[in-house]
Amino acid sequence: MPAARDCLARLVGALCAAMSRLRAYGGRMPLEYPIATRRLANGLRVAVSPDHSVPAVTVNLWVDVGSRHEPEGRTGFAHLFEHLMFQGSRNVAEGEHFSALMAQGGQLNATTWVDRTNYFETVPTPAYELALWMEADRHGYLLDALTQENLDNQRDVVKEEKRQRYDNRPYGNGLTDLNATVFPKGHPYHHSTIGSMDDLDAASLDYVHDFYRVHYGPANTVLTLVGDVTVEDGFAAAERYFGPLPARPVPPQPVVEPLGPLTEPVRLDRVEDVPQDRLYLGFRLPSGATTAYLAGELALGVLAGLATSRLYRRLVRREQIATHVSQGSQGRVAGTSMGTIAIDVPSGVAADDVESAVCEELELLGAQGPTPVELEAVVADTERWWLQSLAAQDERADAISQYYLLHDQPEYLNTFLDQIRQVSAAQVQEAAATWLQPRSRAVVTYRKQED
Amino acid sequence: MTAVARPQVGAPARWEYPPHSEHVLSNGVQVVFFHLPGQHVVSTRLAISAPLWSEPRSREGVATIVTRTMDEGTQSRSADEMAEALEVNGIALSAGMLGSGMLVDLDATADHAERGWQLTTEFLSEPAFDAGEVGRHVHQRLAEIEQELADPGGRAALEWARSFYTDSSRGSRPTAGRASTVAGITSADCRQFHAASVRPSNATVVVAGDMDRAQALTSLERTIGRWAQPAPARGAADASPSRDEVRTDPDRILFVHRPGAVQTQIHLGSLGPDRRVDGGWAPYPVLGFLIGGSPTSRLDSVLREDKGFTYGMRAGFRSRSHDGVFTVSGAVRGDSTAESVDLILGILAEAGKGFTEDELHSAADFIGKTAPVRYATADVVAGEAGALRLDGLDSTFVTDYLAQLSQLTTDDLARAWSLWSDQPRSIVLVGDAEAGADAVKALGRGEVEVVE
Repeated sequence: MPAARDCLARLVGALCAAMSRLRAYGGRMPLEYPIATRRLANGLRVAVSPDHSVPAVTVNLWVDVGSRHEPEGRTGFAHLFEHLMFQGSRNVAEGEHFSALMAQGGQLNATTWVDRTNYFETVPTPAYELALWMEADRHGYLLDALTQENLDNQRDVVKEEKRQRYDNRPYGNGLTDLNATVFPKGHPYHHSTIGSMDDLDAASLDYVHDFYRVHYGPANTVLTLVGDVTVEDGFAAAERYFGPLPARPVPPQPVVEPLGPLTEPVRLDRVEDVPQDRLYLGFRLPSGATTAYLAGELALGVLAGLATSRLYRRLVRREQIATHVSQGSQGRVAGTSMGTIAIDVPSGVAADDVESAVCEELELLGAQGPTPVELEAVVADTERWWLQSLAAQDERADAISQYYLLHDQPEYLNTFLDQIRQVSAAQVQEAAATWLQPRSRAVVTYRKQED
Repeated sequence: MTAVARPQVGAPARWEYPPHSEHVLSNGVQVVFFHLPGQHVVSTRLAISAPLWSEPRSREGVATIVTRTMDEGTQSRSADEMAEALEVNGIALSAGMLGSGMLVDLDATADHAERGWQLTTEFLSEPAFDAGEVGRHVHQRLAEIEQELADPGGRAALEWARSFYTDSSRGSRPTAGRASTVAGITSADCRQFHAASVRPSNATVVVAGDMDRAQALTSLERTIGRWAQPAPARGAADASPSRDEVRTDPDRILFVHRPGAVQTQIHLGSLGPDRRVDGGWAPYPVLGFLIGGSPTSRLDSVLREDKGFTYGMRAGFRSRSHDGVFTVSGAVRGDSTAESVDLILGILAEAGKGFTEDELHSAADFIGKTAPVRYATADVVAGEAGALRLDGLDSTFVTDYLAQLSQLTTDDLARAWSLWSDQPRSIVLVGDAEAGADAVKALGRGEVEVVE
């Protein structure tokens, strides 16, 4: 699943997994991962999901701050701040978060996204309390250790991250451009999580302090434990290490009205040093974790998610006016999500012709909806990738944190497939007719610079 | 003060690599089976010994095109019908080439696994290699080549292989072929390669997941077990030599000029060991981790955390079918290119002075203690077994080197490093040569050649 996430560092080693509580999947029984939740006195929400099949525990924290909380002039700050969380805290030396946990067999990292910042580690069972202790130290007492030197160094590292992942690679800013085209200026999703070089340069130590005090309180955070731990022990450990953190007020969320679909196409054309033309189409979608959003997600799958999808069949297989078609969508929390379609156009083919063909297919799906076989295929594909991702305990922890923090539904992962299966062909058609019509498209085109 | 004292960490529980059983189907296909309770998506990896060097030289890339077109239609089903048969069952299929052969990946929920094997048997036995589908995939590969050349990391890796291995070595050229050889690939070429190499007698099927073994074997027997051995076909007459040779003059720096690039991609590579190296494999992942395998590695502690030149450098040893490579790669800020190269070479030279006990234990503990989690999913267990099988090994390779980790001494590390630290080395830089080449020349670290 494509997701524009900014990682602190690439994941070390492969990811992990564990035994599920899935029963009789073939009979389509509901998923039954056990999930217990509790709120500490300081407001921290805690979820524990025991699974003793692997002698390891995942510790996963979601903090309710992402790039959507960044005011103008501060873009990229939530992500830069994430880097600073690895530079030491009151009782943890610079670099020790990585070195101490890795030496115990921990795999860890952090990511920043539009709606949240995520810190996580998977460690052998005897090390999970150390992981909690270290997380509590930086989530409670980071500022004691923060220096101008750390800020300057990590600003440089983040600028290299931006150059490597965005500026110095073909199409690197494609999704950034698409966000800026789908969402109007001033909207919290208009800018990307990586931000701008100027704003990164402007970040000051004072602002770091303010940002931490406002956003990094226990009541603004979810802590999830998945793996080789009992509910009782997990809650007790959460209380032991996070209970002493002082309560802080929950910051107000940026107020933004849900957006309807675009009413006329919005375009951005770039001529760049790219190997072939690429079209990005972006659409607004309803808020994540709603039936209307799921219907939109399935509609995008019918259009471009599979080898039997309409755009693949027509553009890649039959007419051969595209070499690659892909789609993605991200359920977002601030009223409006985004869905994308990306298409690589070979030399000798006009990108505008490809766009016209796409528009025909958008209209057709809106007018007639998916066939039973199309819907069956996207649902079957969703079932497989969902179960495959939940097979790994760290991804399960991430899903629990996500839906607990953003949607107050910690058990969502157990019911997601039931909700997907309940989406009807008529609802998919309605989603396509409402959100995925040609008039509602944003189009970013990267055209190959001719020599 | 944090209210609670820092907790002490005890020893982790004993852990065993998932056990496997081996079987042979009636048509000779080998089976490696892992029963993994709770892994409801069953991962199947079909490993087919079809070494890259066996491709005809004028048609390099044909093996990759075969992996991409085998399932694009059979004698009884069109490409589109095959895709639909797979996708209505939620079966994910992909395939690709490694140096020693082909790996076909099939992932499906347990109740759809047999259907996946049935369809796999159909396309293995009677692929259509329709001219239209082959032509389409050839064009897609040509577009992909353009993408690879435009990507700084991709370009650096390609140029490194070309500058490191002799021209006659298959390893000097891209696995999936160059434009000049791919453009001419026809369905006849695909049929010939398939008939010569994609055969039950060359194949192992690895299955991992929550499936009853007896039931899985019965299902495999009535599907992949019915893949008939075709008549022997002649291999390509003009294949490459089976061993790659390192050039006699690789010690140089190639600077690929990309005007205006704001970063320089660095790709340094030297000869390394393969998995069968004397003294065992365990020292090599440890060395890779210490030099460039974590944010606290020797490379990143200087180039990232101290200097802020890079988002991250990576280093490590990778086994190939014969010999291996040690690689350092990453992107650095353009105006730090020469200093970065100098720092990297300095760090590698410093490694010759050895590693401390603390370093050894931190790395060995990381690699050993992460194993239970790294090998917890069907996908990873099956993928590892499939890749090892192509190398003639099984998962006892993993258990052996994990066991060796706890016995390693700093002398073992020093010995292993010294075996490979003076081997031939080649460095490729992809960046703005006008801005950076003179400073790299001034380092005196080897002849610098600038290419467009």
